[in-house]
Amino acid sequence: MKNLNRYGYFFIAPFWLVFLVFSIYPVALTFYYSFTNYTGSGEAQLVGLANYKRLLTDTYFVEAFFNTWKIWGVNFALQMGLALILAMIFSDMRVKLKGIAFFRAIFYLPNLITISSVALLFGILLDWQHGSLNMMLMKVGIISDPINWLNEPTSAQLSISLILTWMWFGHSFIVVMAGVSGISKDYYEAALIDGANRWQTFSKITIPLLKPILLYIMITSLIGGLQLFDLPMLLTDGIGSPDGSLNTMVLYLYNQAFKYNNYGYAAAVAYGLFVITLIFSAFIFKGMYGKERKQPRQV
Amino acid sequence: MKRKLSIFLVSILLVGLFAGCSSDSKTSGNGKKDVDLRIWSFTDELKKPIKTFEEKNGVKVELTIVPIADYPTKLKPVLESGVGAPDVFTGEIAFLKQWVDAGYWENLSEKPYNADKLSDKYVPYVFDLGKDKDGDVRALSWQTTPGGIYYKRSIAKEVLGTDDPTQVGEMMSSMDKVFEVAEKMKSKGYSMFPDEGAIRWFTQGDNPQPWVNDKNELQLTEEKMEYMDYSKKLRDNQYTALAPEWSPSWFEGMDKPIKVKEGGKEKETQVFSYVLPTWGLHSVLKTNVKESVGDWAVTSGPSPYFWGGTWLGVYNKSDNKELAYKFVKMMTQDDEFLTSWSKETGDVLSYLPVTETIKDDFSDKFLGGQNNYQFFLDQSTKITPGIVTKYDQQLDTLYGNAVQQYVTGKKSKKEAIKEFYQKAQNAYPDIKVPKK
Repeated sequence: MKNLNRYGYFFIAPFWLVFLVFSIYPVALTFYYSFTNYTGSGEAQLVGLANYKRLLTDTYFVEAFFNTWKIWGVNFALQMGLALILAMIFSDMRVKLKGIAFFRAIFYLPNLITISSVALLFGILLDWQHGSLNMMLMKVGIISDPINWLNEPTSAQLSISLILTWMWFGHSFIVVMAGVSGISKDYYEAALIDGANRWQTFSKITIPLLKPILLYIMITSLIGGLQLFDLPMLLTDGIGSPDGSLNTMVLYLYNQAFKYNNYGYAAAVAYGLFVITLIFSAFIFKGMYGKERKQPRQV
Repeated sequence: MKRKLSIFLVSILLVGLFAGCSSDSKTSGNGKKDVDLRIWSFTDELKKPIKTFEEKNGVKVELTIVPIADYPTKLKPVLESGVGAPDVFTGEIAFLKQWVDAGYWENLSEKPYNADKLSDKYVPYVFDLGKDKDGDVRALSWQTTPGGIYYKRSIAKEVLGTDDPTQVGEMMSSMDKVFEVAEKMKSKGYSMFPDEGAIRWFTQGDNPQPWVNDKNELQLTEEKMEYMDYSKKLRDNQYTALAPEWSPSWFEGMDKPIKVKEGGKEKETQVFSYVLPTWGLHSVLKTNVKESVGDWAVTSGPSPYFWGGTWLGVYNKSDNKELAYKFVKMMTQDDEFLTSWSKETGDVLSYLPVTETIKDDFSDKFLGGQNNYQFFLDQSTKITPGIVTKYDQQLDTLYGNAVQQYVTGKKSKKEAIKEFYQKAQNAYPDIKVPKK
């Protein structure tokens, strides 16, 4: 009897091997490096908590933290708003829109483009002297002088948020639609008979029943958003210009490690990022489910 | 039966798992037999020399090209571990100083290489850059990459009355004179430079100092601070075409007029000059210019400078050092090879025994028959050795950033410099930064 159980371990062994070598080992090693002054070559010397002390007083890391939140927050609000409005339209029993498969594909397309192409594309569109956006705005007469979009902190951050929204609203829309189609039609029919209007059906039926889905989108988007790196890296000079407004946490980590060779400190930044992500994920999770338990669902 | 089946399945999973690793080691195992020498670089320019080397010595060489952006990050772990490492690898100026000190390159000052003996055969600054902090030679280079100002002859004739490189160079021998020329250009509707970043190579002025000195102190010289004002002056007086380096309009401006929108007006302007080094002629201008071929010339700016350059050396854990150095030798000291290489590519060599014999009969059609070889050699000897540090690339970027903040009017000069100091300290906690 005892022997039988052994085979299970063999079956999970491949996964564990990969997991140990490619996930646990680097994570542990990074943790070790975060207590050293490793510079990428040569020997690492232990420096105790110096890196973490520096992290807590590092204004650039704090700046990166808020930048990341600003960029992600605006993007998330817009992306979810758009996805929910679209889901509301497409799931409306009264409108019965056709061609949802077509629109789903169209909305999702931006997500398939590699990020470097997106950056190049928007770099050209937003170009100061020769960008299409400025040319268009000047033709229409809204502005008389071209705006250097990527050279103003606010507009640069907003640009990134909008590009992210454009890339990700299709994804959120699909996930929301999947959630909507899982809601029984009975609720909507009952609401229709009771004379509920669109907003009421949406806010009283769709949203509450979509809670787990929304939570899922929010947490995955948050984790992805806090790791925002590629667009800020590629759209300007890679060190967060203009005026440090595109300096995100992971970009900061990358520059500390691979540009300035402060691997030890970069490891500490990585753990700082990990703790932040952990706290906010727990926060969202609690916020979403904590309420649920207090109020039994009544539909 | 069940037991056998499950063992079978597990073994399939494990084989699948290790397939990646095993096939990898297999190729490198086989590779050891087929390939005598491995070389890593970040451009394909070594392709031809390698072919020559293979034919001469009857060996097989494998060249791995890694794009420059990933090159240091990919090469470093390989060199640290020694697994799958090259026998010879090149280094670019941006990370050269870091690498000569890291000890990956074999010490060429020792026997049997005795590279110290070669010192007076090279352009001084080039040979100097290949030395580590103890003064031992770690890497050599075949080229020198001093810079100049490439300008359009037709515009020079119209505005300045002459297109002769020496006379035009005389007119731009200081920053004040450059602004005189710029003003003349502007009055005829031309732009002096594509954008204000062009003059960053002249920031050293008459006082070239390393960014970080022996005492580990950051040095922002008066000359470098003045550069901020020069940049702002270029922008404020509309002397440029607002086309940042490597942007589409920067390339476009080489051949035809470009549109500039400034102060609510749109104008069309032609760019007079581009500040580029030796390789700028072959890999930038020649590849982008179609119509104005022959209408260009190159001359000196307010101060000599160099930009870029490739060094190469032998990996110190290589088990084929003899052949590896043979290749380095061919690339850097072989009269016959270097002569043909230079004639074919126009690359300006740093190996003086060869340049002495070939420099006189060079002329470039693109530059209207000018002997740019002679010009660049003269420039290269004027460059002060010993001012390159491992911090240069990042500090240049950070300082360029501060200058940009000042030029666009976001920050005052004082604020911009203060921020530069803060950022420099943040990037390199070990260096001493002025408090104010």
